[in-house]
Amino acid sequence: MRETERKADSSEEEKVQGGQRELEERVLRTGFCTGCGACVNLCPYQASYRDRTVILHHCDLAQGRCFAFCPRTPADLTDMKSRFYDEADLTHELGAVKGFFIARAAQEGNRRRSQHGGVVTALMTLALREGLIDAAVLTEKGEELLPRAVTVSEPEAAAQLGGSRFVVSPTVAEFNRALRTDCRRIGVVATPCQALAIAKMRLQPLAAAESGMDRLKLVVGLFCGWALSWRPLTDILREKTDLAAVIGMDIPPSRYHTLEVYMPEETARFSLDEITPCVRESCRSCADMTAEFSDLSVGSARLPEGWEAARLWNQVIVRTKRGRDLLELARRRGVLEFREVPAGNLEKLKAASLNKKKAANRPQGQSGAGDRMGQAG
Amino acid sequence: MSMDRGQREGDEVLLMGNEAIARGALEAGVQVAAGYPGTPSSEIIETLSRFAETGKLYVEWSTNEKVAMETAAAASFAGLRSLCVMKQNGVNVASDFLLHLAGSGTRAGMILITCDDPGALSSVNEGESRHFARLMEIPLLEPADFQEAKEMTRWAFTLSEEIRNIVMVRSVTRMSHASGNVILGALPPAVRKAEFLCDGAVSDPERGPVISAPVIEKHRLQQEKIRKAAAIFEKSPFNAYSGPERPELLIITSSACRLYSLEAVSLLDAEDRVGILKLGTTWPLPPALLKRVLSTTEKILIVEEVLPFLEEQVKILAAEQVREIGVKTFYGKNDGALPMAGELNPDLAMAAVGRILGIDPPVLSSAYRKKLRAFAGLAPRREQTFCPGCPHRASYWSIREALQRDGRGGFVCGDIGCYAMASLFPAAGFYTAKTLHAMGSGTGLASGFGKLGSFGMDQPIIAVCGDSTFYHAAIPALINAVHQNANIIFIALDNNGTAMTGFQSHPGIDINAMGDASPVVDIAALCGAIGAKVVVGDPFALQETRETLNRLMEGQQGVKVLILKQSCALSPEKKGTKRYLMQVDDALCRGDACGCNRLCTRIFRCPGLLWNREKKKAQIDEVICAGCGVCAGICPAEAIRCEEAAKS
Repeated sequence: MRETERKADSSEEEKVQGGQRELEERVLRTGFCTGCGACVNLCPYQASYRDRTVILHHCDLAQGRCFAFCPRTPADLTDMKSRFYDEADLTHELGAVKGFFIARAAQEGNRRRSQHGGVVTALMTLALREGLIDAAVLTEKGEELLPRAVTVSEPEAAAQLGGSRFVVSPTVAEFNRALRTDCRRIGVVATPCQALAIAKMRLQPLAAAESGMDRLKLVVGLFCGWALSWRPLTDILREKTDLAAVIGMDIPPSRYHTLEVYMPEETARFSLDEITPCVRESCRSCADMTAEFSDLSVGSARLPEGWEAARLWNQVIVRTKRGRDLLELARRRGVLEFREVPAGNLEKLKAASLNKKKAANRPQGQSGAGDRMGQAG
Repeated sequence: MSMDRGQREGDEVLLMGNEAIARGALEAGVQVAAGYPGTPSSEIIETLSRFAETGKLYVEWSTNEKVAMETAAAASFAGLRSLCVMKQNGVNVASDFLLHLAGSGTRAGMILITCDDPGALSSVNEGESRHFARLMEIPLLEPADFQEAKEMTRWAFTLSEEIRNIVMVRSVTRMSHASGNVILGALPPAVRKAEFLCDGAVSDPERGPVISAPVIEKHRLQQEKIRKAAAIFEKSPFNAYSGPERPELLIITSSACRLYSLEAVSLLDAEDRVGILKLGTTWPLPPALLKRVLSTTEKILIVEEVLPFLEEQVKILAAEQVREIGVKTFYGKNDGALPMAGELNPDLAMAAVGRILGIDPPVLSSAYRKKLRAFAGLAPRREQTFCPGCPHRASYWSIREALQRDGRGGFVCGDIGCYAMASLFPAAGFYTAKTLHAMGSGTGLASGFGKLGSFGMDQPIIAVCGDSTFYHAAIPALINAVHQNANIIFIALDNNGTAMTGFQSHPGIDINAMGDASPVVDIAALCGAIGAKVVVGDPFALQETRETLNRLMEGQQGVKVLILKQSCALSPEKKGTKRYLMQVDDALCRGDACGCNRLCTRIFRCPGLLWNREKKKAQIDEVICAGCGVCAGICPAEAIRCEEAAKS
């Protein structure tokens, strides 16, 4: 992302374009690949496998959608934000902020299935039920900690898919696939990198027209500190757990310095010192904690009452009119319940987000993981 | 024209060199013939199999060359004339037995026919089998034309019985695969009865046990046999000198190189200045004959393929006789007059003779050369690749996709068969195959690689092996891998026959070389019995194959066997039939655009897929498309469609 930020400062430079070769040289080989899947399912040349994007065969086109859509190829982010968001809402730390809320799913069942407050699950279920979207691109648990991107059209199905994933899923690849189906109104739950990829897709006039990007009706962003690489993570976890039995994971606030792995009968704990080496290389240079290219973004809450109370709530940043409308609908329908935002919460979130931006711009090797991680949902 | 049962003594027939060799064996009364297929040798056993008859002639495709030689030797021990046939590197396989057989000696006439492949036209080596004759101390004959191929083969049995040892006859591709007129001789009416007489003393060559011990004594006896052969060779009609009485330059040559030499001398108009000693008995050399001919000149050029085999022998003889014949100047491989790698041809021979004699070779007119280039330009450029409908293309496609997904830099250890093409022409195997050596070596190498995990190697290791190669030499390596718990995936590319050399039978096929029903040795059962985990799949099921491979790569330590079964597209049961009629839907085909960038014709590259330059769309070549349907599974736009073909 450092490169992208720099790019924004030199708008005079010729627009950088490329194909698979450039994608491989600048993103895949350098460890910048987020595994989002933006370059997958457009053609037979890339595929998602485990949590990685792989090149299956070589493509010799000088320019390709793979390169254009990739969240780690150059883009003028400032320009992009001004196209999608109201200038007045834009903040340096968090992108567009139309509103900031503490909320949770009204139904306890929704919360139980979810990581924290269950807001994302409740909103996607509502959007499907109300017909705002007819397809939701979500992530399901999968097997052995390998989440799977899926498209669901039934609200009941969406309601089952809560919970954070600590390993990335190729959501944008699934979105690319959904674009080839006859879905009319698509909603996506996306991490920051995935949301950026989708935003870049919206700005590619040819590709957008061809693939029908106007069918994209909702992007719910997830706060994200970083994701973990599947292979090293599972190598560590296998020592203390049976991967098949894992029902969830969480990282409480930083003072615990622990990854908790939940199984039906017990909880295994791993020191973050052991886990942080598994952080994806690409996450170490990511400057977006709150999924700035979304309609609204959701993450875990911080409350004065402490973690045990906070873990049942979410923080929500509303960025667009569409996001605001959905949140208001949820309030009217009683799907979400809200509580007062404690004084200073937005400032703390801004500080945390700014920290990630700073860390991303530090030379390699110095960037520590933030105190939040995982993909809230 | 070829050999058939209707032909009679005295008929003049156009025969391929290999058929002439087979005819010579028949005329000698051969009763057991065994071989392992390998270009350029395969037609000898194929021809003989057409003459197979219970009680008269038994012919078999053995599992490998060593077993073929053992099969033939048993017949010799039991009093039947026999031969074994193999290509050059087959002699390496048989050589352990050959060493001991040469020591023990034989009874009824037994010959080893090897067909070498100078220039490696259909080999991955240009091994020189002639050196085995010297190494094993057995006589060597090299025919130089088709009639001689027949006569020499017939006489080799006589020689073998005279010296009681195996005799080697060496052909080359240009001899085995070219054709010429041959006057047929009579086929012997009588057949011998088989009985192994073995109740005598070790020293009794007629009735004793056949062993190479007592070694020193037997070794001395073997060397006596060689001296006897040399004496016989002094008068052999297969050695002939033609040319002036005192030539300015003497060419010593053998095999196909004799014709190159004749043509070179003729083109240079140097018949008055150059003499040619053509040798048919090339080891041991007859010293008196050599002495006589060497005395006639001071300059000697040796023209042979590939290594300086004759050259070195002649130099030794010349050194030994230097007081009588005087000092000579030798030209050949060692001084660079002729190349020591690759085939020779009349041009190379002409250039060498021209340089030695100071004659400028005749120059082709520029008009002729221009025409030559124009004609050469007419030939379409074709890459070497798998045939339309070939299961190997599908197998390698899945291997590629599985290895790329896995992402740990896995690779394929190649082996000998059509699928070796993946190692030779990387695009044909989608850049997966990274080693290629002897038959079965892919598995042996994989077994070795599979033990390097403790040194930090985490690349997935895949050995591929054809069905015939499996029986030939892969089994011991596979057993080793199982026993050592090597971490490998062994893929048997089972295309139901020894496809590359022309569908010869092997132990997995239910008929033998003579067309009789034969018990089948099942690859899956055998792999299971040695303790490997076995999965059987269809290579045409791309996704399933790929997923199986990825699962096996992630699986437990040890040997995982995947048998991909699908008959060769050219196999007798498939050839000319189409399962599907294939079609490209122009409306869906993306062509050059981002989205597929001609995956089918640029990467998959089945020759049955064409790129229509005008329409800028893919197209099926209906003439050569084998209708396997695999390409429908790789097209991302689903523009390639399969329609079930009507059963005919």
